[in-house]
Amino acid sequence: MVAIIEKRQLRDFDWLTGVLAVAIVGFGVWQIYNAQPTESYWSKQILGLFIALAAMLVVAASDYRRIVDAAPVFYALGIVLLVLVLIPGLGVKINGQRAWLAVPLVGRFQPSEFVKIPVVLMLARYFGNKKGGPLRFREMFVGGVILAIPLGLIMLEPDAGQALTYFPLLAVVLFLSAVKIRYVILAMVAMMIFVPTSYVLGVKYGVIKNYQRERVEAILDPENADPRGYGYHTHQSMITVGKGGLTGIKGNQQISQSVLKFLPEPHTDFIFAVTAENTGFVGCISLLLAYAILLSRLVMGAREAPDKVGMLVIMAIAGGMTFQIFMNVGMVLGFLPVIGVPLPLMSAGLSAVLSTFIAIGFVISVKMRRFVN
Amino acid sequence: MKVQDFSQNLPFRISTIQIVAFVALAVLGIRLYHLQINKGEIYKEKAENQRIRMIPIPAPRGAIFDRNGNLLVDSRPTYNVTLTHEPGETINPLDRVDDYAKGLGVDREFLVERINLLKKRPDYETLVLKENATLQDITWVETRTLEYPELRIELQPQRFYPHGESLAHVLGYVGEISPAQLEKPEYKARGFRPGDIIGKGGLEQYYDQFLRGTPGYRKVIVDSRGRVQSEIERVPPQAGQDMVATIDLDLQRAAEEQLANSATKRGAIIAIDPRNGEVLVMASAPSFDPNIFVRGSSTPEGRRQIAAYWQDEERPLYNRAIQGRYHPGSTWKIPESVAGLVEGKITVQNSNLACGGGITIGNKFTRCMGNHGSPPLRYAITKSCDGYFYRLGLKLGIDGLIRMVEMFHYDERTGIDLPNEKVSRTPKYYREMVEKRSRGRWPDIETVFASIGQVTVDVTPISMIRAVASIGVHGELHVPHFLKEFRAIGAVGDEGSPNYVPEKKAFSYDEQDAPVVKMTAEQNKLVLEGMYGVVNEGGTATNVAFDKDFLIAGKTGTAQVTELGKDSGRLKDHSWFVGFGPAYSPEVSVIAIIENAGFGSTHAAPAVKGVFEEYVRKYRKGVTDEPAADAADAKADEAVETAPADDVEGPPAAKPVVRPTLKPAVESRKPATQGGGEKNESSPAAEKEKAVIPPKPKVERSPSNRR
Repeated sequence: MVAIIEKRQLRDFDWLTGVLAVAIVGFGVWQIYNAQPTESYWSKQILGLFIALAAMLVVAASDYRRIVDAAPVFYALGIVLLVLVLIPGLGVKINGQRAWLAVPLVGRFQPSEFVKIPVVLMLARYFGNKKGGPLRFREMFVGGVILAIPLGLIMLEPDAGQALTYFPLLAVVLFLSAVKIRYVILAMVAMMIFVPTSYVLGVKYGVIKNYQRERVEAILDPENADPRGYGYHTHQSMITVGKGGLTGIKGNQQISQSVLKFLPEPHTDFIFAVTAENTGFVGCISLLLAYAILLSRLVMGAREAPDKVGMLVIMAIAGGMTFQIFMNVGMVLGFLPVIGVPLPLMSAGLSAVLSTFIAIGFVISVKMRRFVN
Repeated sequence: MKVQDFSQNLPFRISTIQIVAFVALAVLGIRLYHLQINKGEIYKEKAENQRIRMIPIPAPRGAIFDRNGNLLVDSRPTYNVTLTHEPGETINPLDRVDDYAKGLGVDREFLVERINLLKKRPDYETLVLKENATLQDITWVETRTLEYPELRIELQPQRFYPHGESLAHVLGYVGEISPAQLEKPEYKARGFRPGDIIGKGGLEQYYDQFLRGTPGYRKVIVDSRGRVQSEIERVPPQAGQDMVATIDLDLQRAAEEQLANSATKRGAIIAIDPRNGEVLVMASAPSFDPNIFVRGSSTPEGRRQIAAYWQDEERPLYNRAIQGRYHPGSTWKIPESVAGLVEGKITVQNSNLACGGGITIGNKFTRCMGNHGSPPLRYAITKSCDGYFYRLGLKLGIDGLIRMVEMFHYDERTGIDLPNEKVSRTPKYYREMVEKRSRGRWPDIETVFASIGQVTVDVTPISMIRAVASIGVHGELHVPHFLKEFRAIGAVGDEGSPNYVPEKKAFSYDEQDAPVVKMTAEQNKLVLEGMYGVVNEGGTATNVAFDKDFLIAGKTGTAQVTELGKDSGRLKDHSWFVGFGPAYSPEVSVIAIIENAGFGSTHAAPAVKGVFEEYVRKYRKGVTDEPAADAADAKADEAVETAPADDVEGPPAAKPVVRPTLKPAVESRKPATQGGGEKNESSPAAEKEKAVIPPKPKVERSPSNRR
């Protein structure tokens, strides 16, 4: 699988994307330290970065086309992991979600983070090799099935936040696979009707859990949200972000919202709030700019991709990342409900960092082979 | 229409996705700008509020000593279990009330009530759940800091009254400031906060600002569960200033003993130094234990005790010495004598007025208890001749009586340094009411009643002793007071720092120039001689005369509570005696009123004597033959022997409870002379008879008690 890297390929290696990703993780490590200086999350993250970097290089060096060819195998493997995680005894339950697999020596990892990659590969393989012309309904249906199987398993964990991040993968692939504009518009209109309706019905029939409803209400009506109860996360997150001001508190632990434990989950879901508190508006805007540059690099790579499959892989990854950034930061800034979506490259967690770097490895691999053929 | 291959539009579609991504990031940037730049300061403050706590360090309250350095009030360190009020917290203490109640052994209802206070007053920082925590309670809390981080143990100096019921009315007590008080501007201005301990009643209230000191605080950073993480700043408290009171604890105890042994155990005794107004004794019976208020307010049992005090028919919480208004009876004749002389109605040379055994006003005859012929003033005072004073009163008229009230300042507070002093009520106060009822004129019969201190005269014991004591000191009306001095207390903190609390200097009572009753020395002497005669020359109180050297002067009073014939039990006469000694150069003046006991000479006079005896024992050793310790026995003997045949000592509970002295006097006024008036209110002759009949019991000298 690992091809010999030629000199020309080495020259075409997308250093900037790699360095940017590593820089963001490094910045994230600092914030993880700020969030919990007494815990070892930050050092684990450094370790995770090295593992992820190695994985990225391996993936980048591989020919993405051969990996895409093997996509069904990875996909099947992913499904098996998602099933395994549901088996009590194998899957570890944290905060009511059975989303982690305990592996000896390696530790815990979260299959739902990794399964995104085979899903992207499967979608790219299916739609990338499709003949020209607008998408037919049957094709869209197949895409839906590819997505629905892992999605259903993730919902059984249940991890609604993680499941949500799968939707943009299909949306991007469909959009770039000549889906008719009228379907796009139709889908958007349907969303606008479906989301509120399903929310109302969900609340009515108890499908949506109470805590989920309260989190939504905390956003819709923050003034009346109980700052001690269900509104607590949002309330504290906004305080933490706001108090950062222009330049932040620069790591002053005495007054840190996270060190004093006012801010929940500071090293994972709310790492952006920690960033905002410590580095202020300047730091946050810099981070968002870094994301913007990274995304631009990905999109640029997609444009230069040698084939449609490569393009779809990159764009699906870019779309998924954008969606996660928006959901996570939107939650931290108090205008989106609290759902457990990690911030790519920033949140502590080996699974998330590893899967993101593998994705970037694909991107680099695609770009590196843009002149081949 | 030809189907377009949208894959040709791929670059456009990719750009669309890119634009959507950038727009999303831009939205985040705008929102960031709003939170961090526009509202940054607001959130900074919110964050600060939730992490910074000021934990007050209570200042030890100043102690109070008597004039000889005996400790009267002190503070002791105790531990309180407190609930930290965390505005940003997820704990609802009401969910845990059962655990608290069980663990601390506190009544559940009480805890619920306390915690609900937080809803009304969110500015509480800590709320005391249990005072006087035991070692067990402390252990219970300390071992559960993870379970119940909201509970804390705080050191709190607690007020302690070592003498219990003794001096309770003078000292008052302390307690948590009430929500109603917090709303009042005078408390608001001084920056009181919920949970502050303030003086309630007595010297504790009056001198609160000097006794209380300045609390310090610890400025700490807490985490989301209220656990202290670090201390930013510590400002030590400045203790309150210690007070030296004019009280003499030994005299006070002697007085309280007299009240405790009195017929009804209800009344008041005051002793002052007539030369400067220093109060040596102020006793009011029944009394209460201030410790119950300090300790008991947080326990159901203590609250029951407090409620019982408030509901007690005997009104133990009320300081009879400054809040009780009583008809003064014949003690009123002393200021009246002065007024008669000063107004020129009688003169030193010719002060004779008819007694006539009484007086007829209209068709009513109001009698004197004897027939004293046409006595001079001195004799009239000594024998307490009503007939004489009826006529003197009529000569003075209502205007003269009112001028007399003003002359002796009965129409205002004495200005004693205690809260809630009541003003005496006199004809000046009642005039309008009476005249309204009597078609615009003041009837002579009212003058007659008023001239012997009945009906329209209700005075406080404190105003009475102040007025009568002035006779011994050339008419000087000193303001009675308890403050001798406040001791200095050192500065706290570094000079120039914002938390510097400067030194509090020592200061003593600032006496203003005492108003003086404008009488001539001869006039003064004549009245004084009359008072001397009361005790030493066959007057109404010869039973309380001292043998030698410490010769006292005084005046009895028997104040009628209701019309004659009904005067038993709760409606029996109030017994008064006011005097000073040594008669011609007084050092101490004592007044006693025993409620519903009977004759002044029988009850109040011996009580006063008991206090004088203690004074003599303590300050004029070897002068008297009667050891103080036997005074009570002697008095009791007298009381029994002088009891009139018609059951003066009858059971007080036999009659329905009526408290005429506490209601507006007009309500209870019922001229004693109605229906022919064969009986009269004040009965000086009877006093005299009863007082003279019993030979003074000779008490065996017991050398062991001499000192």
